[in-house]
Amino acid sequence: MTALVALTERVVISTTRDRDILFAVLAPVVTYVGFTLVLQNVINTGDMSYAQYVLPAVVVQAMLLGAMTTAERAAKDQRAEFGVRLRTLPIPTVLPLAARMLYCLLRGVLALLAAIATAYVFGFRMQGGLGYGLAFVVVALTLTLALSLAADAVGSLGWQLDSASQLLLVPQLLLVLLSTGMAPAEAFPDWIEPFVRHQPVSVVTETLRGFAGGHADPGNVAATMAWCVGMLLVFGAIAVRLQRRTR
Amino acid sequence: MSHDITSRRSLLVESLLFARSYMVRWRTQPLLPLQSLLLPTLLLVIYHLLVGESLVRITGRDNLAGLVPMCAMAGGMFGALGAGWAIPAERRTGMLSRLWTFPVHRSSPLLGRLISEGVRAVLSTALITAVGIALGLRFAGNWLSVVLYMLVPVAVVVTFAIVVITLALAVGPDGNAMFTWLGTAAVGLAFGSSGAAPMEMLPSWLRPLVQYQPMSPAIETMRALAEGRSAWWPALMTTGWVLVFAAIFIPLAIRNYRTAAETGA
Repeated sequence: MTALVALTERVVISTTRDRDILFAVLAPVVTYVGFTLVLQNVINTGDMSYAQYVLPAVVVQAMLLGAMTTAERAAKDQRAEFGVRLRTLPIPTVLPLAARMLYCLLRGVLALLAAIATAYVFGFRMQGGLGYGLAFVVVALTLTLALSLAADAVGSLGWQLDSASQLLLVPQLLLVLLSTGMAPAEAFPDWIEPFVRHQPVSVVTETLRGFAGGHADPGNVAATMAWCVGMLLVFGAIAVRLQRRTR
Repeated sequence: MSHDITSRRSLLVESLLFARSYMVRWRTQPLLPLQSLLLPTLLLVIYHLLVGESLVRITGRDNLAGLVPMCAMAGGMFGALGAGWAIPAERRTGMLSRLWTFPVHRSSPLLGRLISEGVRAVLSTALITAVGIALGLRFAGNWLSVVLYMLVPVAVVVTFAIVVITLALAVGPDGNAMFTWLGTAAVGLAFGSSGAAPMEMLPSWLRPLVQYQPMSPAIETMRALAEGRSAWWPALMTTGWVLVFAAIFIPLAIRNYRTAAETGA
């Protein structure tokens, strides 16, 4: 257990140095303020204010952005002699991975707190009480963990992401901007509506918005859980497996 | 006197040679031009899909005249960041120091870099404008205004490149954080401009800030040129911003280049 604490502490310290942890807090604040100010008078969200409407999309966006930085840390841990050194220590092989994931959860919590605190200033409210609030947090953190495991697996494979990380923004932009997290499906052109309605970011943001408003559509929640838990299991299995690789 | 002229000519030739070497590099590393072409083009299409119909419903027109310039310049800025990414490595491997000892004008590698940025900005603006025309953008001006339209992003992107180069020369071997911040600043400037939404849709307290930040005058210049209106006022403001940044960052870039080249890693 102490090894896990020490390794986690190491990750946290390294991210205060490269300011990733600061970025984790600032990114959702900036995107939330940006989206709200620019789009609140453009997108018609009916009775709901845009400040209330858009928060889940910002949360998902922050989780996607945060996960991407995990790949680099995983690659650094594998690279050079440090990975070899870690493997000679009398600790379980998955412990460095567990430490990185604990950091990702911490990062996720900070991002979530920053996003919600900012949103409260703009009029967002958690209307469902403690139970729904907790469900909101659990879904967001499960998503973070699943995405971080995927990114960790990519980094552990040794893929160099630095100059490609801008290209990784492409699927992310597609998924976040063309989702019902940004605007109701009717606001999009007809031909793209089916994609917008059914893609995972739309499904997850709808669940989160429901939880924030104090209601849940069983079918939608089931779909969200299927995505989150499914990704968690698949990417988790791959990431754990990759920790055993020796070169 | 004649010496002066040949010297100036050789500076141009050398700078063009360096520019060419940077552009040849894009062929071997196609990721960079892809970044500065694909990303903004996609951003244009995606963002237009997101807000286009809503804007037409509210204001009667889409904001393509502002959105296309915004994406063109954002693309050029992403490209400048991608190109600047190589600088810390060039310093580490001794490339900068080696260029410093070449029998060429010492400013020519820097100038060559800026020329290559300008060329890429023209190409990406042409592509993004073509996509914009496919989406429904129309030009009301004459050919001269089209030429000027293409030159505005060049000025903005080259200025931004000077900032990127200055900072990239000053960071140590690991410039990740600096590039993340610069990238965020670029996205923020682009998105918080009059290209993202028409000015009258923004909260009133925010309008002056958006209106006078460096990107908006450039976007408004291009909007005016595309719509065939007089572009004097925003063009003047754009020039002002370019001059301010140039006055601050060109001396810094030269100083940092000297330090980086003379001290190496």
